[in-house]
Amino acid sequence: MNPSRTAGTNAATGRGQKQYRFSELIAEHGVRDRWEKVRKYFFLRESTYDMTNRCNIRCDGCYYYEGDKQHAVENQSVDDWRRLMEMEKERGITFVVLAGAEPSLVPERCRACFQVMPLGCIASNGFKAIPEDIGYKIHISVWGNDDTSLRIRNAKNLLRRQIENYRGDPRAVFVYTFTRNNIDEVYGVTETLAENGCRITFNMFSSPVGYSGELRHTEETLMKSRETMMDLLGKFPESVLFSPYNVVAHTHRLALHDLFSCSYPRMNHSTDIGLGRSFKQYRTDLTWDRDAACCVPDTDCADCRHYAAGSAVVTARLYRHTGDPDRFKSWLDYVDTYLAVWVMGYEKGTNLCDRMIPPPGHEIF
Amino acid sequence: MAADNILQRVAEIIIDELKLEDLTPVTFDPDMDLVDELGIDSMDLTTVVLVLQDEYGITIDEDDYPRLSTLRLIAEYIEGKLKE
Repeated sequence: MNPSRTAGTNAATGRGQKQYRFSELIAEHGVRDRWEKVRKYFFLRESTYDMTNRCNIRCDGCYYYEGDKQHAVENQSVDDWRRLMEMEKERGITFVVLAGAEPSLVPERCRACFQVMPLGCIASNGFKAIPEDIGYKIHISVWGNDDTSLRIRNAKNLLRRQIENYRGDPRAVFVYTFTRNNIDEVYGVTETLAENGCRITFNMFSSPVGYSGELRHTEETLMKSRETMMDLLGKFPESVLFSPYNVVAHTHRLALHDLFSCSYPRMNHSTDIGLGRSFKQYRTDLTWDRDAACCVPDTDCADCRHYAAGSAVVTARLYRHTGDPDRFKSWLDYVDTYLAVWVMGYEKGTNLCDRMIPPPGHEIF
Repeated sequence: MAADNILQRVAEIIIDELKLEDLTPVTFDPDMDLVDELGIDSMDLTTVVLVLQDEYGITIDEDDYPRLSTLRLIAEYIEGKLKE
C-alpha cells in the first residue's frame, strides 16, 4: 500500500465526486459477505447449445425459427453429444445452456450433457416435464396468462400444465417475458405462481432481426414494465427473483449493448479474454459461427434486453460498477439474482440496494 | 519502488485473490500467460485489478486489460503508472 497516493478515478465516478477504494466498497459487513458469496462463481464459463430442431408449440416471435440455425441437420447421436461435452470441458467450459428449439423433446441428449457437465440450465416451454435425474436449472418460458398463450403460442392451458409439471421442483424458475401487450397480465400470473410455491423472474421481449410485429416494446411500455416489475418485487419478495438494478438494466430506453457493451462474440471481436474468447453457440449439427454467436442468436442487438444476455453482460462489467457504494451493491444484487436464476443450489439473498441506480454513464431511463 | 518488489507483491496478490494454492511468489513464472496457461477469466482479472488499484493508488483502464497478460507485464505496467 502506498499511502502517499489516493485511489484513481473509477470509470463510474465523475469529477468532484469522492473516489472510493475497492476495500472501502467491500468494508461493510453485508457487502463483503455478498461479494465473497458471488465471487465463488467467477469460475463459470458458459456456452449454449441448440438441442433439436423440433418444438411442440409454435410461438409468435420465436427466436429459434429465425435465421439459418433452424435448417441445421440435427445430430441425433447421443454419443456425439457426450463427446462434444467432453471437448467443451477440456477447453474450459463449466456451464452449459441447453436451448432451442425444445430440449424436453430430447431428454437422452440432455442427460448425456448433464452426466459430463454438471452445471447448466435448460430453456423449456414447460409443456413436457424433463426427467428429475437431469439436475440442471430449468427455465420455463411464460408469455402471459392462458388466454394469451393460446393466442400467441397456440398452446391450451399452458400455465396450468407448466405448474403441474414443475410445482415444488427446485430446478424450476418461471421466466415471464414482458411484451408490449401482456404487462397487466403479469399480476395474475405471478400471484398464481406464488400460490403454487413457484419462483419467477422477468425477461423483456427483444425483437428478432427484421421483426415488425406487435410485441416490440415502445418507450411507454418499457416504462410501464419498469413500474410493474418494481411493484411485483415489493409485493412478492419471496417468489420474484429480481432486483431494482435488474429492473433498470432491462427496461432502460437503451438496450443492453448500448448500456454495457455486449461481450458476446457477435458484438465483441476481441478474443483476448472473457466471453469473446470462450463462448460458442452450437447449432443442432454441432457447428458454430463466431459472427452469430450470442445467447439468443438472431435477436436485433439494438433491441436486446434479454435476461440471459444481461446475466453475462452486466456481470462482466464489474469494473464500471465500482464508482460508489450503491452502484456496487446494485451490481452485487444483479449478480446474486443471476446466480439464483441460473445455478442449482444457489439461493438469492435480500437485495442490498432497494432503489434504482442509473447504469454507469447513463441516465436512469 | 523496485521492479522486483512489485513483481513479488503482484504475485502475492494474484495468488491470494485467485486462491492459487499450487503457486508461491517464488514458483510463479513471471512470463506464464495468465489466460492461456493459468486459465484466468475477465472476472478474475477485474478482481485483481481492483486490488492492485488500491495497493498502488493507480487507475487501470478497462482498455488496458489485454496488455496485462503475464505477471511481468502487469508489474511493468504498474511501474510505468507509478512513474507518471
